[in-house]
Amino acid sequence: MLVISGAMNGAIYGLVALGFVLVYKASAVLNFAQGYMLLLGAYLFWFSRVTLGLPLVAALLLSVGAGFLVGILIERLTLRRLIGQPLISMITVTIFLSLVLEGLVSMIWGTYPLQHVTVFHDSTIRLGRLVLTTQSLLAFGLALSVAGALIAFFRFTRMGLAMRGVAEGHQIVQSMGISVRRILSLSWGLAGIAASIGGILMGGTLGFQLGLSQIGLLAIPAAFIGGLESPEGAVLGGLLIGLSESIVSGYVGNAAGVPAAFVILIATMLFRPYGFFGLERIERV
Amino acid sequence: MLTLSNVEVKYAGVILVLRGVSLQVPEGKIVSLLGSNGAGKTTTLKAISGLLRTELGEVTAGAIEYQGRRIDRLDPEQIAKMGIIQVMEGRKVLKHLTVEENLRLGGYIRPNGEVRRDLERVYGYFPRLRSRRNAVSGYLSGGEQQMMLIGRAMMARPRLMLLDEPSMGLAPLIVREIYEIVRRLSAEERTTILLVEQNAKAALATSELAYVLENGRVVLDGPAAALADNEDIREFYLGLGKLGEKKSYRAVKTYKRRKRWL
Repeated sequence: MLVISGAMNGAIYGLVALGFVLVYKASAVLNFAQGYMLLLGAYLFWFSRVTLGLPLVAALLLSVGAGFLVGILIERLTLRRLIGQPLISMITVTIFLSLVLEGLVSMIWGTYPLQHVTVFHDSTIRLGRLVLTTQSLLAFGLALSVAGALIAFFRFTRMGLAMRGVAEGHQIVQSMGISVRRILSLSWGLAGIAASIGGILMGGTLGFQLGLSQIGLLAIPAAFIGGLESPEGAVLGGLLIGLSESIVSGYVGNAAGVPAAFVILIATMLFRPYGFFGLERIERV
Repeated sequence: MLTLSNVEVKYAGVILVLRGVSLQVPEGKIVSLLGSNGAGKTTTLKAISGLLRTELGEVTAGAIEYQGRRIDRLDPEQIAKMGIIQVMEGRKVLKHLTVEENLRLGGYIRPNGEVRRDLERVYGYFPRLRSRRNAVSGYLSGGEQQMMLIGRAMMARPRLMLLDEPSMGLAPLIVREIYEIVRRLSAEERTTILLVEQNAKAALATSELAYVLENGRVVLDGPAAALADNEDIREFYLGLGKLGEKKSYRAVKTYKRRKRWL
């Protein structure tokens, strides 16, 4: 039971971590606003489902599309102007951007948790001693398939190849006629999609509340454990974090769950500084 | 095909690197640009390809025209799409990608359907790349990397290729191989080539026209064969004395002839 619920949360962490990796790979920026892009996505879903009363699929499409646009907008308004400037200033921008996004959300929707709404129809399935909810099964399936689609995009398409090229050197790919700006904004848009879907799914189980942004915090160790450059690693890292969080909080106590994730992160960093699937630095002698 | 008239380039608004460079690259020819370190050769190429603008450089006076259109205000990606591809010096491979991925990216601006055929063409020129197509490019030897970079530029089917020091740090045998490919590119693909080199001997033997750049100015130009016979070029760039015998280092030290053009 613990394993299953852990894996389900883990798939969502993995998806959010994937968004983190996409941005890092293309622009070497750690996007600390990822958790708040997630929050915004979740609230936009709630808004279109409850306030606008849209059917499920329409609400999903609308909020995920909005997440894509938010990602692109953030890139265009802030980071594009900082291309070529020190990385630390970009990272600082993302940290404070997260506060701006949080403020925006609480300004519009208030700071109290919103009325609960499930994403998928909720019913339980029994498999022997296991009790599963359709809600979490569907969330698990959706998170994994979106993550799979993003990885396939990255790996097999021209655009995906261009994104991996941009990750290695902006000037080099510009000399081949590839627009770095377009690729960067695409990677932010995709990160926005991953964050929104993660937020919506988490909102369905935890409720739509400001605390959802914490998932962004858990996605960071997931990305680091997998290796910051590896989309597959991010998903596996997410699963690992989800599992360990749920098992530790089940056997040791609720409070121990989240710190356990960070203990694993620190241990990984000590023994494998590049994470499990990160790119090793190539140095020819 | 390409005309630079009185091009002046400043970095960061204050550092004057090119002080009025004028040169012409006629269609279908190999033109080389010689000069010592810091003469402004690479800057000239970057001014043409637009890459200058990614490093705070700017064309502050003069004009660069390509097929009758001014290109000195365009973005590097626009210029690449017009058919000018630069092979940067220092073997700038995308080192975590495989050889084939590097080549495919080179063909990014081409229609998707033709990438396959262009890959075959590049492998035809560089059989060694075919056997290493799935190798991570960061672990290739220097010669293989340089071949891959030329191949990557070929994937874009450029009409004008800007080659920056393809011989740098390579063994003489490999340099000869690479120059053989450059000649074939010109003869078989009708690619116009602007070549920057410190290896004056290899460059003059390959090209039809040559310019000599010093301190951000063109100081000599003419047919490559004529320059190879020029007394000053022989002395300062080819290291030969009056009668064609190699000079000893002692002679260079004790007597330094004034460069006539200064």
